[in-house]
Amino acid sequence: MASMVGYLGLSLLLFVIGAIGVCIRRNAIVVFMCIEMMLNAVNLSFVTFSKLNGNLDGQIAVFFVMVIAAAEAAVGLAIILAVFRSVASVETSDAAELKW
Amino acid sequence: MTFMGFVLALCAVASGIGVIGFRNPLYSAFSLVANLMTMAGLYALLDAHFLAVSQIVVYAGAIMVLVLFVLMLLNLKVEGGPKLGVVRATIALGAGVLILMTAVQPIFRHFEGMSAINLRENAARTVGDVASIGEQLFGRYLVQFELSSLVLLIGIVGAVMLAKRKSATLAPRDGYQGAKEV
Amino acid sequence: MVTGDSRLSVIVVAPLVGALASFVIGRQAPRLAGAIASLAVAVSLAVTVALFQALSVTGEFSATLSSWISAGQFALPLDLLFDKLSAVMCLVVTGVGLLIHLYSVGYMADDPGRVRFFAYLNLFIFSMLVLVLGRSLPVIFIGWEGVGLCSYLLIGFWFTNTEFARAGRKAFVMNRIGDLGFLVAMAVLYTACGTLDIVELRKAEVLERLPADLGFLAGLALFFAATGKSAQIPLFTWLPDAMAGPTPVSALIHAATMVTAGVYLMGRMSGVVELDPLVPAIVLWVALATAIVAATTALAQNDIKKVLAYSTVSQLGFMFLAVGVGAYGVAIFHVVTHAFFKACLFLSAGSVIHGCHHEQDMRRMGGLWRMMPLTCAAYGVATLAIAGIWPFAGYFSKHGILAAISGSHNPFLFEYVSLIGVLATAVAVCTALYMARSFILTFLGSYRGEGRPHEAPAIMTLPVLVLAVLSIVGGAYLDGSLVEYLQGPLPALSGHEHESQGVVGHLLGSLPGMLGAGAALVLFLYMTGVKDLLRKVGWPLEKLFAGRYFVDEVLDSAVVRPIDGLSQVAYRSLDRGILEGSGSGIGVVSRAVGELSRRMTSGQVATYLLAMLVAVSVLFVIFVQVR
Repeated sequence: MASMVGYLGLSLLLFVIGAIGVCIRRNAIVVFMCIEMMLNAVNLSFVTFSKLNGNLDGQIAVFFVMVIAAAEAAVGLAIILAVFRSVASVETSDAAELKW
Repeated sequence: MTFMGFVLALCAVASGIGVIGFRNPLYSAFSLVANLMTMAGLYALLDAHFLAVSQIVVYAGAIMVLVLFVLMLLNLKVEGGPKLGVVRATIALGAGVLILMTAVQPIFRHFEGMSAINLRENAARTVGDVASIGEQLFGRYLVQFELSSLVLLIGIVGAVMLAKRKSATLAPRDGYQGAKEV
Repeated sequence: MVTGDSRLSVIVVAPLVGALASFVIGRQAPRLAGAIASLAVAVSLAVTVALFQALSVTGEFSATLSSWISAGQFALPLDLLFDKLSAVMCLVVTGVGLLIHLYSVGYMADDPGRVRFFAYLNLFIFSMLVLVLGRSLPVIFIGWEGVGLCSYLLIGFWFTNTEFARAGRKAFVMNRIGDLGFLVAMAVLYTACGTLDIVELRKAEVLERLPADLGFLAGLALFFAATGKSAQIPLFTWLPDAMAGPTPVSALIHAATMVTAGVYLMGRMSGVVELDPLVPAIVLWVALATAIVAATTALAQNDIKKVLAYSTVSQLGFMFLAVGVGAYGVAIFHVVTHAFFKACLFLSAGSVIHGCHHEQDMRRMGGLWRMMPLTCAAYGVATLAIAGIWPFAGYFSKHGILAAISGSHNPFLFEYVSLIGVLATAVAVCTALYMARSFILTFLGSYRGEGRPHEAPAIMTLPVLVLAVLSIVGGAYLDGSLVEYLQGPLPALSGHEHESQGVVGHLLGSLPGMLGAGAALVLFLYMTGVKDLLRKVGWPLEKLFAGRYFVDEVLDSAVVRPIDGLSQVAYRSLDRGILEGSGSGIGVVSRAVGELSRRMTSGQVATYLLAMLVAVSVLFVIFVQVR
């Protein structure tokens, strides 16, 4: 149905917004949140296609994405904390030790 | 897309822009919570009831709480210093627009072939309530389900190891005003 | 490895071994270097004599030193041939060479570089022997190049003096220019005739394969090579400059042996040279011009060695004169007699220089007959020989050449026979004149220099005396018989039979020489007033002679400067510009690219992410649109 197009369009839009955010923001935690937003956009897309194709595979996929996202959140934030301990900052530009 | 769906979509986009727009990371976090809530609403509209609820419980309830904890813990100043550069922003925006514009057409074309009757039938079948989801999870996708529990375990162990306290001194930098030891 | 007659290879290998041995052993015991070198040459001489005597019985000897190149159908073995002509040349090289080696032991006794000297000297003998014994043109060429190299090494022996070193380089470069002719001739002959063997290249059926214009080219190219090696116009100015080397070197290389290599080549390749009658005509005119130029230049020289050098050029002109009229046997005859008296002259001059404490200007000599009687006698005898006075050696060969001119059948020369004869006789007079002048200035009168000159030690005077004796009797002994002997390899082409003349005839033939000598006595000894008068009158001539006809200057501006300019341009634009530019250009480009790529790995995570996003979007576009 044509109405599904809207959901897909929204999913795409949110994905792109998240991608832009990932590139623009310097705060590592905010970058992480943008990544979560991208994942969510994809989840929406999965659900929409599940509805279109007539089976629940898409929704199962979303389930697993959520599981992984949870694990990823835990580990990612732990990393940010660990980096913060040595650098005392969460800004991505401060963790750069390569001399350009 | 129903009227409700449209409203929710608007809210989702607005909060999305809020996530990337706010200087204060706390505001970004709250915007994200709002975004996740609207997503849950959208799932519900699409008859994925189980997912809608687990979205609120897991994402908004657990993950975002964790993020907020960390943000509070670090007690950061508002993101200072010069912004990352207009050039960068333009490039990123350009890339994004490029993706958008390219993807739009195939999406529309995809649906031309499908007949309306088929779609309605499919729509009727996919009601994502607990029972049907459960059937799939413990039936067809049982192995993946078990493995995902393993992933969670690994995540826990990893997080604990990484966040364990080591007695290291901190070099003060811009933006840090909190406790000496974390 | 050696096939054929191995005794033949001993001739060649002995001096090579001698060179190495004297160098190696000489490092430890410098006194032995000269002895070892002389011994090596003596061995060569002994074997040469033995083989020479065996020639009448066996005919010719061949040997192959090694198969140098063997690539499929093309083979170039290092073949040697010992026939009558090679025998004569080898005897001269090893005989005179041995005498000069012995002389050098005395002459170079105080020189710190004498070990190197004897090694080079032996190396030269080796190269020269390869040259005269080679059976094919490439082997001859090896010897040809080798003597050029040794000439360079020995001329620039005292290389710490820039002038001397430059003289060595000049000799080498001019030789090399002549070598171009050799290479061209080899190329032409191989392409047209299919062989480079000197025996083959005399056979009519082989020479027929050469078309007319290529035959002319080959002959001319061979002569061009000879002008480089034997100092004819235009490549002769290196010879006077070559006097920078030690006097034994001048004696050996630039009187007796190397410079005669050109004449030898002409003789061996006479089949090719005679193909187009224009070639011998060109040879004759060039030779005559060279003889005239050199003889007149010698008149104005004050350095004793320079006089002898120009004399050599002039006498070589005589030899090529004989070649031009087809009297190859007589040319070789003159080679032999010239080796005797010229080596004697040079070695005597060396004794004089040695005794006068390295003074070479004749104006500061004089009256040396009292202090160096033996040397004076030798020099006097050799002067009579070169002046062509009977019964000394030079008379017979010179007379033979003058006589051969009248017998020439060459269509290009036919009408000019009398003119050539007159000019050649004039050169003979001139020769006697300047040689007598040098004798008078050096030995007669009163001593005009400083210090006390002394006679040379025995080891130096003995070889000189031997050569003097040869200058006396050598000519008479070989007259007629040598040319007959060489009939096989060098058939006489001018229909001149050798008549033996009576004493009156001989005295008449000596007239030019006596005229010149008499004039010298008048001008330089007794009535020097006449000389001064002539000088005032003929001063433009004197300028011309003293300036050596300005040949060097002409060559410099016409040839050397343009080439130098061209090479400067090439150096700047090609070498520095393109080659170095592209070479270091690669470096510059690499560095620039590196600078650019360096910024990509800045360590800034945000940049990495941005790059990823851009890449993904591009890929997305590609994959979507392509479908």
